[in-house]
Amino acid sequence: MFRIRFHGRGGQGMKTASRILGTAFFLEGFEVQDAPRYGAERRGAPIFAYVRADKAPIYERGVIDRPGLVIVADDTLMGVSAAGVMDGVDAKTVLLVIGGEDPEIWRDRLKTEARILTLKSFVDEETSERPYVGAVCAGAAARLVGVVSKARLEEALTQELEEHGKTVISKNLGRAREAYDTVADDEGIIIDVPNMPPAEPSPPDWVDLPLDPADVASPSIYATATSVQVRTGLWRTMRPVLEPDLCKKCVWVCGSLCPDGVISADADGYPEIDYDHCKGCMICVVQCPPHALTAVPEGQAQGEIEAAEGAPP
Amino acid sequence: MSETRFKAMRDMPSAHLLGAGTAMCAGCGGLEAVHEIYDVLGKNTVFVNAAGCMSLLSIYPFTPFRGSWLYTSMASAPAGAQGVRDALDILKDKGRIGDDEDLQVVTLTGDGAAYGMGLSATSGAIERGLDFLYVCYDNEGYGNTGQQTSGATPHGAHTATATGESGYPGFKKDLFSIWAAHEPAYVATVIGSEPLDLARKVEKAATMTGPRLVIALSPCPTGWDYDPQLTAEIGHLVVKTGVWPLKEYLDGKVTHTRTPHPRAPVEDYLKLQGRFRHLFEPERNEVLLAGIQAQVDAYWAPLEESP
Repeated sequence: MFRIRFHGRGGQGMKTASRILGTAFFLEGFEVQDAPRYGAERRGAPIFAYVRADKAPIYERGVIDRPGLVIVADDTLMGVSAAGVMDGVDAKTVLLVIGGEDPEIWRDRLKTEARILTLKSFVDEETSERPYVGAVCAGAAARLVGVVSKARLEEALTQELEEHGKTVISKNLGRAREAYDTVADDEGIIIDVPNMPPAEPSPPDWVDLPLDPADVASPSIYATATSVQVRTGLWRTMRPVLEPDLCKKCVWVCGSLCPDGVISADADGYPEIDYDHCKGCMICVVQCPPHALTAVPEGQAQGEIEAAEGAPP
Repeated sequence: MSETRFKAMRDMPSAHLLGAGTAMCAGCGGLEAVHEIYDVLGKNTVFVNAAGCMSLLSIYPFTPFRGSWLYTSMASAPAGAQGVRDALDILKDKGRIGDDEDLQVVTLTGDGAAYGMGLSATSGAIERGLDFLYVCYDNEGYGNTGQQTSGATPHGAHTATATGESGYPGFKKDLFSIWAAHEPAYVATVIGSEPLDLARKVEKAATMTGPRLVIALSPCPTGWDYDPQLTAEIGHLVVKTGVWPLKEYLDGKVTHTRTPHPRAPVEDYLKLQGRFRHLFEPERNEVLLAGIQAQVDAYWAPLEESP
């Protein structure tokens, strides 16, 4: 059975990537499951979607815990443990990262035996943007599994994006074909693990847990604004950075327009951005009257901060 | 009306009450409006929140608010507000809380509840003269479940349930007029990208008693399909094109607080959004574009004629 997990951020098209790949498998005569998984978080938050495909009926259910292929659309997720990119990844897994760094670097950082591939050419060097990255992921996955023809991939993509119109379909088709061709050398690299029979159930070692009274199990919260405990700054791929020389201190503009209210005036009247919670929407960058805010790719910004602090690279 | 404390943009609060870390999308136009409204109202508020995107603001044990929050079903937020108001009044009558401990009761719902499911409960609350402030964040669809069509969806827009060449065949319901026809104390339209206009209206509403209702048009990157950085830009354009008139109802009279002049063509607003892409690609739908422009022109014609 093929087990494929797509990791990305809400809005990057991982759900669509899994639908395209699932449909392509189906058109090739496979039994298919595909499902997106996300919680209450929205655009920018880590999400994943997964596909199972087999010639035999599939009895596995739920999230894939032993993936054959993990595709990461956004390499900034690798450091976000809540994204769960590495869950169940072992020596049999192929990890494909869409990002600018070499496989050796990831192998060293992640201390993993997984086979690692990277795709650099799909990331814009200037802006760090990854146009149509969902189609890139679906195209690369289709080639790596080795059993999906280009024609079926194209048919599946066209079906799944039908309602978006011809222009969107043709742009996505271009990216999917490019990805399909780029990973040609690794065609069929995914190990087709046979369907695992259900394990013999053995009685668990029951541990008795007494029920807590409600006020212990779910105590009343009297503290205010506890939502700051949730670090939505992890959603961000781009960071607004202030150029103080250009700033006119009109913090009522950026401060009011920021949906999350994470921009306040500091002691000197300059806007101070709370990067623990800034979701990276970039409204402030677009609206700043003297253009004193710029969008910097998050990876680059963090690198500069580390360099400034003298931390090891 | 007495003097406003918001004379210019520089009077907008430079620190914010609403806690960060909520689950709203990056670039949420609804949250933009709600955090501005909360800054004007202050912390002596209690929010009664119907099911919708904003019911994800407060997820146990986390809340962005400085006070209480009550969650109701989609249709019954105004009824919930009645209960909270009554309870506060009883506590005041019994001398258990002082006037300084009284709270502003704020109903917070999306357009699904305001324009549709909860309209009857709102009508009843206005009829009873309930002393509350209703804030509707209107993103023109059932955004929390994937942007299905609601009573607020504009003509021609694509939603999850209105696909095809012409988008949604119906028209956006005129909730402002429906509410105003009940003759409540105050009704206003606002948008987060015009903070000063919003702050003045909310400030005015906060000093009044009786039913006060505010509709905040809420550009929605996810449901309207545009880059989140454009939320404020789209907000400016929806006002400049006259698609979203900023106005208020007070003492039986409707006053426009902003008359866009000259009005920009509606296309400027529509073309930035994926939900209207089918009007421009693969070829321009001149009939539908002209129809949308004509509707906006017809709205403003009587106002532009008068001196």
